[in-house]
Amino acid sequence: MSNEPTETAGTDDPTDDDLSIQTDVSESVTDHGPTGATGTVVRSDAINVWYNDDQALKDITMEIPENRVTAMIGPSGCGKSTFLRCINRMNDRIDAARVEGDLYLRGKNVYDSDVDPVALRRRVGMVFQKPNPFPKSIYDNVAYGLEIQDVEGDYDEIVERSLKRAALWDEVKDQLDSSGLDLSGGQQQRLCIARAIAPDPEILLMDEPASALDPVATSQIEDLIDELAEEYTVVIVTHNMQQAARISDKTAVFLTGGELVEFGDTQKIFENPESQRVEDYITGKFG
Amino acid sequence: MATDTDSRVIEGFGQVSRTVGTLFRYLLLASTLFGIVMLGVLLLYVANDAIQPLTADPGWHLTFLCTFVLPSLAVGGYLYRRNRPAFRLGGSLVGALAVSLMFAGGASIVFVDILDPMVWFSYVVGFALAGLGVLAIERRSHSIPFSVRFVAAIAVVGVSLLVVPNLLIDLPYALIGWAVIAYTVGGVVAAALGRYVYRSRGPRKAIVAAGGVLLAVAALALAGPLVGVDPLPASIVAAVSLVPVCSYAGVAAFDRPKARVGLVFAAVVVGGAFLGAAVADLAGFAGPESWVNWSFLTNAHSGTAADAGLYPAIGGSILLMVTVAALSFPLGVGAAVYLEEYAPDNRFTRFIDINISNLAGVPSVVYGLLGLGVFVTYAGRAMGTVLVGGATLSLLILPIVIISSREAIRSVPEEMRQASYGMGATRWQTVKNVVLPRAFPGIMTGTILALGRAIGETAPLIMIGAPNVAFSLPTELTSKVSAMPLQVYAWAGLFASEEFYRQAVPAGVVVLLVVLLSMNSVAIVLRNRYEDGN
Repeated sequence: MSNEPTETAGTDDPTDDDLSIQTDVSESVTDHGPTGATGTVVRSDAINVWYNDDQALKDITMEIPENRVTAMIGPSGCGKSTFLRCINRMNDRIDAARVEGDLYLRGKNVYDSDVDPVALRRRVGMVFQKPNPFPKSIYDNVAYGLEIQDVEGDYDEIVERSLKRAALWDEVKDQLDSSGLDLSGGQQQRLCIARAIAPDPEILLMDEPASALDPVATSQIEDLIDELAEEYTVVIVTHNMQQAARISDKTAVFLTGGELVEFGDTQKIFENPESQRVEDYITGKFG
Repeated sequence: MATDTDSRVIEGFGQVSRTVGTLFRYLLLASTLFGIVMLGVLLLYVANDAIQPLTADPGWHLTFLCTFVLPSLAVGGYLYRRNRPAFRLGGSLVGALAVSLMFAGGASIVFVDILDPMVWFSYVVGFALAGLGVLAIERRSHSIPFSVRFVAAIAVVGVSLLVVPNLLIDLPYALIGWAVIAYTVGGVVAAALGRYVYRSRGPRKAIVAAGGVLLAVAALALAGPLVGVDPLPASIVAAVSLVPVCSYAGVAAFDRPKARVGLVFAAVVVGGAFLGAAVADLAGFAGPESWVNWSFLTNAHSGTAADAGLYPAIGGSILLMVTVAALSFPLGVGAAVYLEEYAPDNRFTRFIDINISNLAGVPSVVYGLLGLGVFVTYAGRAMGTVLVGGATLSLLILPIVIISSREAIRSVPEEMRQASYGMGATRWQTVKNVVLPRAFPGIMTGTILALGRAIGETAPLIMIGAPNVAFSLPTELTSKVSAMPLQVYAWAGLFASEEFYRQAVPAGVVVLLVVLLSMNSVAIVLRNRYEDGN
């Protein structure tokens, strides 16, 4: 990463307490192997976002690698969700939001004037913070993307495959006709993941997908993300640092003011961050 | 330490005065109850005049107390305390039976005197063909461009609505009226029950259930003459009321073991009423000399209050309601969807916003004047017809329909829209697949309540020149129409005499209120189900 923004590396010795926290975190970092030999799916180039006159993101430049889990962490209001929404242009739906800069999805600038945001979103799957299945049957929920996009093919088979990938098939295969709202919170979120991957998107965006769930459902979602990364590029926003350490290969740390302070391999960010601010944040000194 | 604490023992905390608060609370209670109590007293007074319960034989009261009131109270009270779901099931069955019987009565008026069953049948077939055609075209939506599909859909709808009905009406043979009703209305019930059974028990039992419904409707229609009812009204009562309610009861008996006992409650209430009537009849106890009786419901206006009836006005009100619903529903929901989902937030839409709220409060007589000016004077339509009356009442309730529909659309959670847009849905797809289905019960509730306002309106109908007294039912959209409130007003104003005041007016008011309350009960049931759904 030549263009990752960093601040001067801090060399203060952490206190004993901080050290112990750090050790805990670093132990749980999963390793998906070397992250070198993969392509780039998303490349952002000096993205700036304003909500009216408030700048929410400042000059974000980063590259998101293929078939890896990239986590974005940071305190509330730091712009990590805003950046996620820049990728599929969901910010367009907010009247007050204004985006400047370039963001390339597989080499195509999604902010080019000839890009239809609706067509763009059909290539990008998104999972939201609160599980939001439609008040339709489980089957119709998963098939929703296929229907609105007029996808050709055997819907029964695609629905089954997506539910299997979302690790939900065994729990719901006998009740595909019952409402998606009858499921538990964790099952609803996995249903939303199945719905998002059914049209086979280029990239899967997740906006704090486990923050409304209990610990058991959270760990199921985390295992699932781990498996999805074999086939999909996953970008996940989380405010749970342990979660980022557990599931991600790359981590981007956003801090107050909408700056991307550090971006790199998860293990390095959590064990040996270059920026003092990142280290303070990760060790719990603020945020 | 111990002595320290001892010296700080608190003897008491004293009292804080609540006198003003208590006074305020009871003032609020009084203002809450004032209107309701006044209205209740008035209604009791009117109902007493109309039904005259005190003219009945004491034996009659005693009979119904023993067979109907006490058993119902006992079973109902027991279930209410021990098994709430069963109580609700029983109560909703009785309520559904009562309300659906009234709707069946209204539908009978329409099919016996206004709409030839053959005309109904041909249009049902026309609409069904149009729907199937559009569906078939949509199925091929992958391979055909939108403009071709659009033209084809318009052609299919046009042909099935303009050509097919005329072909069917002109057929040399005519189908039997009751069979047409039995299978168009009964078919919907059969399909609904069949679908439910199919989901829980598979195709074979679904076919049996649906076939059973159709057979039951036909059997009841044929059995009608045995108890002195023509097959046509009998088939309507069977298809609209008896068979659906029994199907609901049957489904509950099989699928809700805990609430199943509630069927006993419903049986006690309905059976008690029949038993009471039979016993009173056998023992020769005379019932009350109610002015709301069969002849009041089936006669036209007459010179003497005893012979006067509400029949043309009931039919007129039904036709007006159908017209109002057909006009105001699409216009109101369309406006609501535009304002909520499409309109940008600018000065123009805010201006429209404020004006719609204001229009909801404009006096109805002003809308009558508007209807007179626009439809009669400007458009040159005849005065006092179903069409002009319906259009004027539609204008009147349009703001209410828009406001309540917007409320329902706004209550669709933003997460649903986000999920849909996030999947790459266009705005139209989101509105069609997510927003409208979710908002539909709320929209229906608001529309029914608005229709309830329209059914009680008198002033606009007077303004557009609707006749106070109609002696026959309107048979088409351009015939003169009267309505229930107008007829009551005529009895109170034009035929002002002691007789009419004491007999016809209270009876008319009671009928009007019963119709209104049963419409509102449908709205309340819809709203409750909607809230359960959330």
